[in-house]
Amino acid sequence: MSCAKFETDIALYAGSDLAAGRIPRIESHLAECDACRALAAELRAEQALLGELRDQPLEDAMLAQVRQRVLAEVGVATRQPSRLYWKLALAAALVLTAILVWPRHAVKQTPAASNTAQAEAGSVPAAAHGAAPLARKVRHRRHGRTPAPQPGPPLLVQFVTDNPNIVVYWLVDQKPQGD
Amino acid sequence: MTAYPRENSGELAAFERIMSQCERGVLRVALRLLNNPQDAQDAAQEVFLRLYKHLGDLDAARGYEPWLYRVTVNVCRDIARGRRCSVALAEVPDPPAPQPDAYHDAARAQQREFVRRGLSCLGEKERAALVLRDVEGLSTREVAGILGSSENTVRSQICSARLKLRDFTGRMMRKRT
Repeated sequence: MSCAKFETDIALYAGSDLAAGRIPRIESHLAECDACRALAAELRAEQALLGELRDQPLEDAMLAQVRQRVLAEVGVATRQPSRLYWKLALAAALVLTAILVWPRHAVKQTPAASNTAQAEAGSVPAAAHGAAPLARKVRHRRHGRTPAPQPGPPLLVQFVTDNPNIVVYWLVDQKPQGD
Repeated sequence: MTAYPRENSGELAAFERIMSQCERGVLRVALRLLNNPQDAQDAAQEVFLRLYKHLGDLDAARGYEPWLYRVTVNVCRDIARGRRCSVALAEVPDPPAPQPDAYHDAARAQQREFVRRGLSCLGEKERAALVLRDVEGLSTREVAGILGSSENTVRSQICSARLKLRDFTGRMMRKRT
């Protein structure tokens, strides 16, 4: 049976946690008390066993599973599209729509329209030519002579990748209309 | 799902590097605190997800280990409180008796098993202090910093834990013999 009043200090001494000022007192007691010396030896053996727990190899499969689960969750999270991503995608879609629905042919001015334009420019009085005072609408009629084929506006193609930071835009020249 | 603020691939690479450096320590501590591989894996996963979430807030110059150990202890405490499963002596099956031909190694393994079981019988705070100090080999000051206690409190906890563990292993050895 060890001496109860020394047990606490011996437990600290065995793990090198005892304050330096108290070590001589414990060491002198251990020198003369078999029971406390046995206790100190048991505690040191226990320390060695605890240290061996640290050195016991962990199963690689356990580590791999943890890593896989963490990276899967983090990877999923980072691939979640942000609000900015959606805003940019919407803006790109609007631009693309605008390009696609834009009038594909240049407006050919009719003589009346030319006169109107001149009249508006103030070079020739509009009434002198008997034209309508203001031609508000200019219609392009396709029948008859067709204008020379004009290349359409470039087509914007957007490729969205898994990475929200990478969006590929591709401008494609369209074939001339009327071929 | 938790919201993770970064999408920068460089930070993801840094996170993976820290995880590969610290995953063994985190999993080992979780395993010793919870004494259950599945729970330990869950704890380690939660610890690293928290690391990812707070990576930008941490000071790399101070090292990530103290923060990781602190979070590991907290996460394990939450998991242990959730399951409320203490290991009673009678519930734990005895390890197999050592064979004569490999007696020394087997006896040593048996002692380690008793110590491992003894750890799980300690109180929450004493176990955390002892695992960090005697298994992980951290200094008393580091343990105090991780646990948010004073050094004197930690010394008192590890002293008490060592004596209880010694009593436990002694009882188990006598039961065996």
